[in-house]
Amino acid sequence: MIEEPYRWVEAIANRREYIEAQLAPGSPIAALGYRDGILFLTVGQSRQKIFEIYDRIAVGAIGHPGDIERLRMAVIELASTEGFTRSAADVSLRRLVHYSLSPVMKGAFEQVYGPPYLARMLFAEVGERPGEDLFLRVEYDGEIATNGTTYAQPRQDFAVLSGTRQSGELMEAFLKTRHAQDATFEAAVNSALDAWSIGHMSLQSSDANQLPERAAVLKYRQEQLVHRGIEAALLERDASRAIRFRSLSDTELRSLIHD
Amino acid sequence: MEGSPVAVDQNFSGAAGDFPALLRSKGLLASAVIPPMPQGGTPHKEWQPTEATTILAFKFSGGVLVAGDRRATAGNTVVYDRADKVLEIDRHSIMAIAGVPATAWEMARVLEHSFQYFRRTQLQEMSVDGKVRALSKLLRDNFGFVMQGVGVVVPIFATYDSHSNPEARLYFYDAMGAQFEAADYAATGSGSPAVRGILYYENNWGAKPLQKLSEEEAISIALRALDTAAESDTATGGVDRGGKIYPLIKVDSREGITTLPESKIAAVFKETVA
Repeated sequence: MIEEPYRWVEAIANRREYIEAQLAPGSPIAALGYRDGILFLTVGQSRQKIFEIYDRIAVGAIGHPGDIERLRMAVIELASTEGFTRSAADVSLRRLVHYSLSPVMKGAFEQVYGPPYLARMLFAEVGERPGEDLFLRVEYDGEIATNGTTYAQPRQDFAVLSGTRQSGELMEAFLKTRHAQDATFEAAVNSALDAWSIGHMSLQSSDANQLPERAAVLKYRQEQLVHRGIEAALLERDASRAIRFRSLSDTELRSLIHD
Repeated sequence: MEGSPVAVDQNFSGAAGDFPALLRSKGLLASAVIPPMPQGGTPHKEWQPTEATTILAFKFSGGVLVAGDRRATAGNTVVYDRADKVLEIDRHSIMAIAGVPATAWEMARVLEHSFQYFRRTQLQEMSVDGKVRALSKLLRDNFGFVMQGVGVVVPIFATYDSHSNPEARLYFYDAMGAQFEAADYAATGSGSPAVRGILYYENNWGAKPLQKLSEEEAISIALRALDTAAESDTATGGVDRGGKIYPLIKVDSREGITTLPESKIAAVFKETVA
């Protein structure tokens, strides 16, 4: 029955609906390019969501832990063999995602008899200058969104990942007004936390399609941080070290938070 | 997903965090077959120890000092006088090599990627014991080449164990991959007998034991030892007074690895050696 074209389209549509529902509660992740690097930040309780991929590349992901692990391992494997056989400078996020990851995810998604990847991933590669930072978001169906200039939008120095489209759009709308590429670390931490709060608020009440009041955001942020920990990591721009990834602890970030 | 450039299968090697296994599965790591033993049991051709260089390492008050001369030879020809035989593997690990450079550098590269790969896939740092063992496995896998008379490598591995009880750790190996932890010092290469004598003497009857030396004193002893080795061993460069080429010295401490600037080595050399 699935051989009939419309059945296939229907199967794909069902599958899309199912995956979207599975991903919907995923806690948002914000990635902000600032003066000295790229900051990944989310607020969560248990599972790690931000990972090192290679010297200059990191990823944040939501979805099923098993699928995230498989994709993460595959990308690390590719980056490591490339870095070993050629050089670390030849490992490029653009190539990893466009040539390797995206086709695999699309293939898995469209083969309706096999399992799709229940994962949405946000990759970032730190550049020599803030204008060279690259952000790529890969969807479960292999679709790629970048921070580069398109017809629809100018270049962005940030990227977000969230459970629903609306939540992500609100986060982007907020960061467009609040974040600049020459921001300090402290400013980036606060913008990222606010963006997370806005994204997470939107997941709680699906009818909100406007940016919430500033006071409401601050109140929500404060409430959430009482019982949840901040998970964050940096890709440092400092070229004197090969490995740029550094995890940040909850305690070193809390002292930087201000209203 | 046939022909896809990324193999996302269930048995991905990432689960074990074993980078050499990954390279082998992709055919990126050369391996040699050990030639069959001749009839009678004993190999008729004994391999010549060709690790023509001098590498030394010892613990001092500031961590571990690792020093190597800069000469690379092929037979009795000097091919390069600025060879780098003291290699940084990660923030806290140094591998210093005596032996065939091609194999040694490849090993260092595999090792460097192994440690990173393990940390990235397993989300934890490889233990010091794990790192020491990883080098041992590479040496053992390389033994086929050693038996064929090519590719012998006899390294020293120095690292700083930052876990529960921070301390400098120093290991030396034989060509088959046996690892030995050195309490105070280690030396390898063709010039090592002389160096070992000096370090033994200094440690027992010198002004103070090696572990109590300051950085300047440690540099001075390393330079004197390498100069002594170069006196009788043509494969060791020692200090090239004319060309102003000094040995490469790295110090591994709690803060990480520092490469001593040539100016500092030159100053100590002028003051206490020359």
